[in-house]
Amino acid sequence: MAVTRAVIDFRRSEEAKSEAEHPPASYALQLDHVSKSYLLHGEPLKVLDDIQLDVRSGEFISIVGASGCGKSTLLRLITGLDAHYQGNIVYQGQRISGTSLDRSIVFQEHRLFPWLTVEENILLAFSATNVSQEERHDRVKAQIATVGLTGFEQAYPHQISGGMSQRVAIARALVLRPQLLLLDEPFGALDVLTRMKLQHELQRLWEQEGLTTVLVTHDVEEAVFLGDRIVVMTSHPGRIKRIVPVKLPRPRIRSASEFQRIRDDVLSDFI
Amino acid sequence: MSIGIRAAIGLNRVAGRVHYRQLKLAAFVSPVLLVLLWGWVSHLQLISPQLLASPLEVASTFQELLASGELQEHLSKSLSRLALGYSLGASIGLLFGILMALSRNVEALCAPLFHAIRQIPTIALIPMFILLLGVDESFKIAIVIKASFFTVALAAYEATRGVSVNYLEVARVYKLPWITLYGKVIIPAIFPPVLTGLRIAFARSWTVLVAAELLVADSGLGQMMQMGRDMFRLDIVLVGVVLTGLIGFVIDRSFKWGEAHLVRWRVA
Repeated sequence: MAVTRAVIDFRRSEEAKSEAEHPPASYALQLDHVSKSYLLHGEPLKVLDDIQLDVRSGEFISIVGASGCGKSTLLRLITGLDAHYQGNIVYQGQRISGTSLDRSIVFQEHRLFPWLTVEENILLAFSATNVSQEERHDRVKAQIATVGLTGFEQAYPHQISGGMSQRVAIARALVLRPQLLLLDEPFGALDVLTRMKLQHELQRLWEQEGLTTVLVTHDVEEAVFLGDRIVVMTSHPGRIKRIVPVKLPRPRIRSASEFQRIRDDVLSDFI
Repeated sequence: MSIGIRAAIGLNRVAGRVHYRQLKLAAFVSPVLLVLLWGWVSHLQLISPQLLASPLEVASTFQELLASGELQEHLSKSLSRLALGYSLGASIGLLFGILMALSRNVEALCAPLFHAIRQIPTIALIPMFILLLGVDESFKIAIVIKASFFTVALAAYEATRGVSVNYLEVARVYKLPWITLYGKVIIPAIFPPVLTGLRIAFARSWTVLVAAELLVADSGLGQMMQMGRDMFRLDIVLVGVVLTGLIGFVIDRSFKWGEAHLVRWRVA
């Protein structure tokens, strides 16, 4: 009990500090006592318990946790893919109850449609908008250039590598210029070199577009490299254990001693 | 596709064009051997010549039937029955299968009966169909409709139910309008398995139509064979047998060809 209280106190003090620095109006996303249960063999199983988190506009939040801590579920709730939850998830003053073109998600698997080319896959994002055909093509072209895939517009997903496919997925997520970008272990299935390269690119895109971003990952180094704050979650049920601020200049240097100190500090929660 | 699985399990490792050419040449080896064997057996008269006509005899009978115009008439009869019955059965089956996968109500109402009836071999329904519809055209077309409807409906139902949730979630994230959802996601996703269903349905329709014509008909390839049997003209029967096989083979190949050209995105 004492420990829990200490954790809560810690969290409160963190929030109090950030609230003092930024007025609540600039919160893009507020998670207020969010809980979620699934039915497993007829018994309710709590996967998220009392999640409390405020995300400032333009902030990069990394959520780390072991598998099964409900971090992906949390992201699905914010995306609006699952509207059954307790508590409130408020985005720009409205409770989330469905998907919206303002919020975009990149999944762990690229989820491109194999029967559409790179260009067609990204174009599909415009289906529900009334952007003119000409502008659609221009923006897709520009977005493909931004993720460095010019020349691959007509390729099918099976003709390009996993890393390239994930870049297409990121391009698809960004082409509508959403204000909130959600990333569900987007680089988890990629090799280390590709992953590091894409982390750099993501950091660059985030700075360029001024996006509010929530990244779910089990890679602590990735979380430290990208996040303004790291939300550490514990499992069964998924709870926020603590929130670690990362106040290092960007792009961050992985070998810097402060970087490694934060990484080891977060890792100590898991090992 | 088959090349892919063989490569995966370590057979036919030689890839590329040379290998394909070898395969194509190899395709003719077994039919030629069969014809040679057939000619040899009939030459030695191992089987009475009245029962087994030689390949040459069958070829000349084929020419005779062609010259008299008889064969064309039978063929056009059979093929038009097949075309009408199959296009009706397959298209209704396609729509019904998709509908049953999409609507819980339709599924609850129709699925048990659907799965029960599709277990009944079409051949077994022939006597009942004759009693209900008579021996005219409508009975043969109904038989083809039955054969194609259930196969295509089942394929479309399973394919639609099998559309990955992952794809549907992407569709929800981008709020795809229903026309885009169907045109760009669901139909392309179900296309390959549905095409396989259409192919199997075709093979079943063709076989069952020839069988129905064997039993009751005044024209058609099956009736021609039945007539040949009655007159003890086994050469005519064999013309029918060879043609039935050839037509089925050619149309089956066209399905395969169509699949390869329409489903280009597939990882071969």
